[in-house]
Amino acid sequence: MRLVCGLVAALVVAACGSSGGGGGNASNAYAGKTIKLGAVLSITGAGGVYGPQSRDGAMLAVTEINAAGGINGAKIDLTVQDDASDKAQSSQKAQALIEQNQVLALLGPTLSNSAVGVHPLAENLKTPILAVSTTGIHIVPDCNFPTTTPCQYVFRDSLGEETAIPDNIKSYVNDAHPKTGVLLVANDDKFSSDGGKIVQNTVGQYNITLLKTIPFSKAAADLSPFVTEAVQAKPDVIFITSLGGIPAKIMTTARNLGFQGQFLGGNGFNTATVSAQAGAAGKGARSASAWYIGNTFPSNSDFVTAYKKAYSKDPDQFGAQGYTGIKILADAAKRANLTFTDLAGDRTKLRAAMETVNIQSPLGPFQFTSTHDVKQTVWIIEMDGAGNFKLDHQIQPS
Amino acid sequence: MDQQILNAIFIGSIYALFAVGYTLVFGILDILNLAHSAVFMLGAAVTYSLVVNHGQSFLVACILGIAASAVMGLVIEHVCLRPLRRRQAPPIAALISTIGLALVIVAAVEQGRGGTLFAWLWVDGANSVAFPANTFPNPIWHVGDLTLQASKVAIIPISIVLMLVLGYVMRYTQVGRGLRAVAENPRAARLLGLDVDRMISLTLVISSALGGLAGILFGVALGDISPYIGRDNVEVRGLAVIVLGGMGSIPGAVFGGYLLGLIEILALVTLGSGASGGVAFAALFLMLVLRPQGLFGTRLRERI
Repeated sequence: MRLVCGLVAALVVAACGSSGGGGGNASNAYAGKTIKLGAVLSITGAGGVYGPQSRDGAMLAVTEINAAGGINGAKIDLTVQDDASDKAQSSQKAQALIEQNQVLALLGPTLSNSAVGVHPLAENLKTPILAVSTTGIHIVPDCNFPTTTPCQYVFRDSLGEETAIPDNIKSYVNDAHPKTGVLLVANDDKFSSDGGKIVQNTVGQYNITLLKTIPFSKAAADLSPFVTEAVQAKPDVIFITSLGGIPAKIMTTARNLGFQGQFLGGNGFNTATVSAQAGAAGKGARSASAWYIGNTFPSNSDFVTAYKKAYSKDPDQFGAQGYTGIKILADAAKRANLTFTDLAGDRTKLRAAMETVNIQSPLGPFQFTSTHDVKQTVWIIEMDGAGNFKLDHQIQPS
Repeated sequence: MDQQILNAIFIGSIYALFAVGYTLVFGILDILNLAHSAVFMLGAAVTYSLVVNHGQSFLVACILGIAASAVMGLVIEHVCLRPLRRRQAPPIAALISTIGLALVIVAAVEQGRGGTLFAWLWVDGANSVAFPANTFPNPIWHVGDLTLQASKVAIIPISIVLMLVLGYVMRYTQVGRGLRAVAENPRAARLLGLDVDRMISLTLVISSALGGLAGILFGVALGDISPYIGRDNVEVRGLAVIVLGGMGSIPGAVFGGYLLGLIEILALVTLGSGASGGVAFAALFLMLVLRPQGLFGTRLRERI
């Protein structure tokens, strides 16, 4: 009996000892606490076709995690702020969330144009920030570009245009061997102009002659004159790098003018809103996506089912990335051994834990690269002419 | 190039119709009604919402959309202008108050989503939407190298007829004479027995109805209706048009509208798309320097 008691006592001591720096104490510290997270998203404005879905996806993940008992017993409290697609408002909202609301970490912002202000701010305030839809150049790791020092606190779960656009062009070249192209590029936001640069830098590799580059402003009352210029050049492909409803308008106008060729684009295409707006004119328009609704692996099919149940509509790429964003932060927070008494220290611990995230997500198996960028399968999708997408190809990460 | 000239005429018609409403208020009141762009958007948004969310026919929706815009004209007068006029506030105060109302109107539409307070008005938030394909017949004709879309072609006669009717009313009817009298000298008009406040209300109603109609035509022709179409697409250009044509001059606004459309297109074709916006406003700058009263301006002797 004495021997048994001794063994039990030894096991208890060993258990306490082994949990001293890990889950046991952490669980105790977490129980009953609240993990405050913030999101700065474009619910209104030009990014309003993307931000609401990111918010809905993120909120769904929060609801699921809290319903399942939270993170080691701590509930997530997510505050979403609308930046109205405005760069200045985006930074103001982010600063308020970091300093006044004292959030542990941030999601966002929706637009690369706003990230230029928000990400360096979060980096300076040593607060982890996870981009869930920004895909321009110099998001990670060089958020302070032209300074090239890697940003420590900035991560991204969205597929950068530097990967998406070349993958899409390569895939279409393999299928159809186009010879000529025209680029229509919105020159008044970072995402669109970055996309234009990537197209210009990529087409030469595949022997596509860029007949014209036609920059335009989203504030142009009528895009018809720009599209007329593009169509009259008679290209095989019209490349479109722009945001919101503009790609759909370009496609409709070009088809009305008799354009029979191919539309190729980037992340700006990848929401059902744009596909629905383009309708029949968009049929066949291709882009590379971080996500595809028809993927049947459980982490996606469960997400699609839950999203449809919660919002009575299909999710899109932005919903999937928002949802994944919260799952990433939750996984890191679970392993970060947070104290809930030292916010600065907890932010640093969370940042470190984010680097080793390895989860199953709607995007597929998810990890960050050493530069905090996404490492995942790329899905080449095309608009089906009826407001949705179909899968053409998948490209594994190199 | 021929197609581009057509593009210039289409967009010029919308600029002209929008600017006529702008210039009408300026001609009578000597103030810029910067809520005009929000009324432009409201006309389009209400018409779209009535068709898509409330199941109304397109024609009924257009009439109600124009009516809603006209009512908004009364709101502008009673909320933004008349109280300031009573206090003899400077014109800049009215300018600011109309900017304020424009922001409120845009924000109200922007916040409209299913289940919210403004869902009856708008459910698409910040999104840009277009009328469903079967809302009105919209055939496309190919004539030689030209592509003609019915919804765009229709803008031209509608705009021209409306502007001619307005010109006739202003020049040859009792109401027009009354409005011109108020424009000339409100105090003298009052002494002659004119109800000046009523005349100003009428001006705002006509101006806003035209603005709302311009918004509907914009939405129909360009397939773009969002809370921002007034602010982003026509507000500053409308100002450019009335400066080019002559502040307060209706023929000037019409001519200026087509001129700006043409300048933008010619710049695009000859200098490239990057320069087109800049060239249009360079023309505006030149006009201000060389002929500040605009092409049809009469140094404020006689307006509208």
